[in-house]
Amino acid sequence: MLSFILRRLLIIVPMAILVVTVTWGLIRLAPGNFYTDEKKLPPAIEENIKKKYGLDQPVYKQYLLMLGNVTCRTKSADEVTANGLQFSVAGADFKCFDFGDSLKYVGDSVNTIIFRHLPYSATMGILAYILALGIGLTAGIVAALKQNSAWDYGSMALAMLGLSVPNFVLGPILVLVFSLGLYILPPARWGGVANIILPVITLSAIYAAYIARLTRAGMLEVMRSDYIRTARAKGLSETVVLLKHGLRGGIIPVVSFTGPALASLLAGTVVVERVFAIPGLGNIFIQAVLNRDEPLILGIVAFLSILIMIFNLVVDISYGFLDPRIRYE
Amino acid sequence: MKRARNRQIRVGLAILALSSFLVSCATQANSRFYGKTEAPKANVLHYISGSEPESLDPAVPTGQPEARVLMALYDGLVEYHPKTMEPMPGIAQSWEKGSGGTEYIFHLRKDAKFSNGDPVTAKDFVYSFRRAVSPELASKNAYLEYYVKYAEGYNSGNSFVKGPDGKFLLKRDFDGSGDVISAAEDSFGPETEFHKFIGEPERLTVPGAAKGRTALFEKDPKLKAAAEGKEFVPVRAEDVGVEAIDDHTFRIKLIQPAPYFIGLLGHQFFRVVHQPTIEKHGKSWTKPANIVTSGAFLLKEHRPYDQITVVKDPGYWDAAMVKLDSIEFYPMEEATTMMNLYKAGSVDAMYNHTAPAAWNDVLRGYKDEYLNFPEVAVEYYTVNVKKAPMNNPLVRKAFALAIDREALAKFRKTTKPLVDFSPEGIFPQYEIARTKIYTEELKKQGSSLEEWKARIFNPEKARKLLVEAGYPMQQNGDKFSFPSFPIADVELTYNTAESNKASAEFMQAQWRQNLGITVPLKNMEWKTFLNVRKQLEYNGLARAGWVGDYMDPFTFLNLFYSEKNDSSTGWSSPKFDKLLDDANKEPDEMKRFEILARAELFMMQEQPILPLQTQATNWIKKPYVKGMYPNPGTLHPWKFIYIERDPEKWDRDVENIMINRDEWVEGQIGRLMASQTEFIEAKKALDNAPASTAKAE
Repeated sequence: MLSFILRRLLIIVPMAILVVTVTWGLIRLAPGNFYTDEKKLPPAIEENIKKKYGLDQPVYKQYLLMLGNVTCRTKSADEVTANGLQFSVAGADFKCFDFGDSLKYVGDSVNTIIFRHLPYSATMGILAYILALGIGLTAGIVAALKQNSAWDYGSMALAMLGLSVPNFVLGPILVLVFSLGLYILPPARWGGVANIILPVITLSAIYAAYIARLTRAGMLEVMRSDYIRTARAKGLSETVVLLKHGLRGGIIPVVSFTGPALASLLAGTVVVERVFAIPGLGNIFIQAVLNRDEPLILGIVAFLSILIMIFNLVVDISYGFLDPRIRYE
Repeated sequence: MKRARNRQIRVGLAILALSSFLVSCATQANSRFYGKTEAPKANVLHYISGSEPESLDPAVPTGQPEARVLMALYDGLVEYHPKTMEPMPGIAQSWEKGSGGTEYIFHLRKDAKFSNGDPVTAKDFVYSFRRAVSPELASKNAYLEYYVKYAEGYNSGNSFVKGPDGKFLLKRDFDGSGDVISAAEDSFGPETEFHKFIGEPERLTVPGAAKGRTALFEKDPKLKAAAEGKEFVPVRAEDVGVEAIDDHTFRIKLIQPAPYFIGLLGHQFFRVVHQPTIEKHGKSWTKPANIVTSGAFLLKEHRPYDQITVVKDPGYWDAAMVKLDSIEFYPMEEATTMMNLYKAGSVDAMYNHTAPAAWNDVLRGYKDEYLNFPEVAVEYYTVNVKKAPMNNPLVRKAFALAIDREALAKFRKTTKPLVDFSPEGIFPQYEIARTKIYTEELKKQGSSLEEWKARIFNPEKARKLLVEAGYPMQQNGDKFSFPSFPIADVELTYNTAESNKASAEFMQAQWRQNLGITVPLKNMEWKTFLNVRKQLEYNGLARAGWVGDYMDPFTFLNLFYSEKNDSSTGWSSPKFDKLLDDANKEPDEMKRFEILARAELFMMQEQPILPLQTQATNWIKKPYVKGMYPNPGTLHPWKFIYIERDPEKWDRDVENIMINRDEWVEGQIGRLMASQTEFIEAKKALDNAPASTAKAE
């Protein structure tokens, strides 16, 4: 078990470097850069900018510096930064995960930006996922237990609707009804609890629908398996059979889905953030790409890829607790 | 499965349509105002300002979203007029211009203060002007200051060339133009050490780095020989042509007369910043905890991508005038979201071009709120004149004539047709001059102004021109075609956006109908597109827009100035350049406009661009927001804006908002303008009195 975790943790490093390298290559291949604009810059100004941001250096040096920023590198004496991890080994100062400064937002470091906007996305994402779990699990279990009944068809039809109505349609409909029709909830922006209701519902819809379908399928399969029959034969009450034995196996598909789903929810969802004008990470990420803000793009990519890999690892570990038949080798 | 899914989608769409219909029935209760309209109890303005500002350092950002916020935080020498955007006194109470047009002296008011209480002096302007063009700051806007003597040399890291005899090489000896402007003669105000230096003939500057210098010398052997064995002295910040004569007198020296220069000074780039704060905090000086500002409002809070809150500065020199206690700026780009917030009554006004096309018909009906006025911005297609077949002016003209601009404006709803390059309805004086010159010139050419104006749309002539250009026409009933026209070499490239696509398709249909030529369309992501257009890598036509930096037609015509111009067309002409130079040397305003008009006509007849439309403001505000006008740049001096609680006094029928008089606003404009007009009057009186005696001598 321990060696499994260690192995997986070690793989994260080369994977992250690979992801970042590919991203960096793509940014460099894309025409234009952060200072191109409608108005052409006089060559002198362009030179000043290139010099200021080290773009006059040879490409391999720029790459290494970028890689050093994203992972670890030595810290020169004149660098003042409190970001990331900092430590000294054998007299040399090192720093890790200090992604550098944003090119577009002068005076802001990438680390500051990520951790400033992550809470918005995370709050929304976690709440949406909790809501989705609540709705999805209930609907899925009910549908599985009352298979082929009106309950089953009803909840699955709703789930289908949830999957097919994209959130850029659902969001505006909710706004139309609750904000502009009934005037009971604010139509957009971050603020109090009232502000968060509509975006959370919008965001959770598709996940709730997906979870409902996964739960239903998982539960149907498990409830027919031998050990459930054994449990019933032992004379256990239906509640215990369902919650202690059935659910544990039935939600394994949901758990596998949770890893990537939660990671992408934390990372922010562009559409919902834009529709509701929420200053989350997804919005920032898209802007960074449009602005060709290289350090910011790479910082977010590195951060997200690490996050996703860790979430997946946690999911893999949790399988063992849910299903004793799964072993780690 | 696919079928089932399609059906689901159809059901979904039906529900969507139904619910939006129900809701629109519920909310469009035919009220006079759009959505919830109640004047807020507090004097707080809620304003959507566009994308998140790059920085709150006025010297750094280039965009208008930033300009709007920075105008609240910083004052400059001049401020924009709320209606016309003409310069009016800001921290400079008054100013005067030297007879040659290259020197300006500004008289600063004595009560101007920074937000920490420090007085604003001429030295602060010297610092701000020098810092803005420092190579270390690497500001993209630095070019705005290139009119100031040696600002370009300093910004480029250039060096003067000094001989062993202490004499410097002069620019006039090398650029072939001779001393275009006898700058030394234009000198007024008290004589100082610096003034003597800056008044000398302009020195030559060469790249400071050896590499750039070698490259230059290789191209120019004469220069190389002249620089042989000479010393290279870097251009310093102290050499830039700005000077504090005393604490309240500031002098600027330009390289050439630039009559629009005063108008440019309202730009955020030239607004005054606080030296000790910047030096103490470095790049984090704009954080709310550190920032020191100079405008009517203080920065209270900055939550990126969410909200910027500024509050009234009680120590501001004109605080008595400021009626708003606070402004909340919401950085936002999603037009539908803005409309929702507006309708729910959470925002009071927003920036330009925000009303989505689909909402236009609805918004247009709200006559007290919807503002659609001409802007100092144009949209056109550039032509790559370096590639066949568009290298033939006849082909370019044919394409220009074959589009119905009136129909385009009707189709786009918010724009107005554009016939020339500088927009109509923005520069009234220039337009008088333009009409006069065009009439004259066109008469000489055996044409007339009517015919010129008619070139808005003339498909018959367009076809004739194409035939003239050597492409025989085939006619079949009312269908035309030019089979030999190399359509494979022409396409229309635009940057991805719904509105650009709509316009491009409209154009495509026009050319197909009127010329029988189907121009392929090609869209590209913004930055990719910019690159392609700049490098002239496109075939035929590309979409372009241009927003004026200041209120003078020169901001448009300058785009085509010199061989290395920014027009992305490959077109340039020494004749055109000469006309622009002449215009700027002309002290008489109307005569200058006439020369500019000549230049514009000449350029437009060469047709390096196809003009399409003038942009219009296209935004909405609540009727209780007063003193806010749809000026050509949508840049509002915030101290003119107030919240009116009495519905009787709200703005009504905003179509007339520019003509209607708001007594309070007009009074304030009059009060602020007085210092300059009085100064000019007094100076005239002074000049006239001794002038008569001087003549007698």
